[in-house]
Amino acid sequence: MTGPPADVTVRVEDVHVHYRVYEDPRAGLKQNFSQGRLRRQFSTIEAVRGVTLDLHESETLGLIGANGSGKSTLLAAMTGLLPLKSGTIRGRSRPSLLGVSSALRAALSGRRNILIGGLALGFTRAEIESRMDEIIDFAGLRDAIDRPMRTYSSGMRARLNFAIATARIPDILLIDEALAVGDEDFRVRSARRIDEVREAAGSVVLVSHNMAEIERSCHRAAWLDDGVLSAVGEPGEVVSAYLDSLSSSRSRSSG
Amino acid sequence: MDGATSSQPGPERPVSGANKSGKSGPQGLVDLTAPPTTGAYLREVWRRREFAVVVPAQDLRAQNMDTALGQLWHLVNPALLVGVYFFIFGVLLDTRRGVDNFLGFLIVGIVLFHLTQRVVQDAAVCMVRNMGLIRSIQFPRILLPMATVNGQTLAFLPALAVALLAILATGERPSLRWLLVLGVLAAVYLFNLGVALVVARIGASVRDLERLLPHLLRLLFYGSGVIFSVEAFVTSEAWRRAFALNPVYDLITCARWCLLGTGVDQSVVIGMLAWCAVLPVAGFIAFRSAERRFGS
Repeated sequence: MTGPPADVTVRVEDVHVHYRVYEDPRAGLKQNFSQGRLRRQFSTIEAVRGVTLDLHESETLGLIGANGSGKSTLLAAMTGLLPLKSGTIRGRSRPSLLGVSSALRAALSGRRNILIGGLALGFTRAEIESRMDEIIDFAGLRDAIDRPMRTYSSGMRARLNFAIATARIPDILLIDEALAVGDEDFRVRSARRIDEVREAAGSVVLVSHNMAEIERSCHRAAWLDDGVLSAVGEPGEVVSAYLDSLSSSRSRSSG
Repeated sequence: MDGATSSQPGPERPVSGANKSGKSGPQGLVDLTAPPTTGAYLREVWRRREFAVVVPAQDLRAQNMDTALGQLWHLVNPALLVGVYFFIFGVLLDTRRGVDNFLGFLIVGIVLFHLTQRVVQDAAVCMVRNMGLIRSIQFPRILLPMATVNGQTLAFLPALAVALLAILATGERPSLRWLLVLGVLAAVYLFNLGVALVVARIGASVRDLERLLPHLLRLLFYGSGVIFSVEAFVTSEAWRRAFALNPVYDLITCARWCLLGTGVDQSVVIGMLAWCAVLPVAGFIAFRSAERRFGS
């Protein structure tokens, strides 16, 4: 077996991820009785089917595809959050998914949420305290930081979430449609922070439905179609292949 | 803080403890999906221990924020509980037969049972409630039931202080034996931790548990002699031995012996020590075997 080239940060090999989901039975109770099945039915969804992909140092990879094509599942599998059906994912460090909103409490102040979010991400209390001011300033929430988070606008919440999640620049960063948050000023600052990952020879995976953003900020793009990689390569080519497939399927359904 | 590399906002390069155990690839790539060894898992739990203390403490603060009495509810609730049970079982039904200081007897039983009850109820839903966290951030899942136990224990401390004052008010005088209650409380913590791990694991996959729990807890309540003296009411020797197998009965009886000087059988002490030694370990094994399935 030949090893990966030296600059590979994550190697995804023939990965399959399956979900088990319960079906909402359309049949009535009576019908279920007559068919002799009282147990709820479940079916398997093959969300990712045999994906092989390398991430390289200092690159941003754009991941595109229709809703339900397996993009988020692939990201979750790369962080080790989901058990694989088969295949391997190896990396030089554990990738982290950008975002900590699931840990935050609406009833508590922004400052307390920085503490809670930081702890959830694996910081120590001392590390968070020492970066507290930096995080508050980056989020641009100096005036609102001691107010309960439920009084924040959705843009303010998103800025707080981003500022906590990137308080430590990760080696491998996975971003699931999180970039278009905040005002123009914050967008520039968040894009700058993501660039820092690459400058430190890390990798970024960006899931987005904004094709202009994919072409502008990614070195490569990968198109996931129903759990299978359809194309990987130069962003412009992959994006137009994807858009072509969309318009042809649209004309088929309308024609 | 002191300029060490860990406090600089630099890139986080080394693979953290949780996956050092993974097989190393030819170019230093490690398997990201391999489960960590027990040692690596425990080290990661220790590294993140502040999460299981600070987060429940903050949640406690948020809980009663919009009530008129605020944080006082952590005191008022157990006091009302004792009052209601004293009126019904002490005064109306006169279950105080065979107990010298029935109010003190009730206070110890109710306060301790209430703690375990809250731990069980909270642990049953802690995995489901934190599903968003489980699906987005990688961390040892055992921190969630641990946070549950810590949170309920923190909420219990003011109730404990009130209980001790109330026991003094009933005429008990502190003695050296009172110090032994610290050992019993340590046993209570270990038992609650073990219970929380088992209940959290079951509750994560069997949603019906939440519906079943009120009935199981009621059975446990009457089966633990919280509001009546087992010594005085249970005459059958076989049934008394069965009570000694109930860890909650053992813990409450030992705490009563420390604080009130009521009788305690050797089998009860052995039962308590056995439960709080075995259950946390069994709970850890049970919880960890399902670690990978939480969130799917």
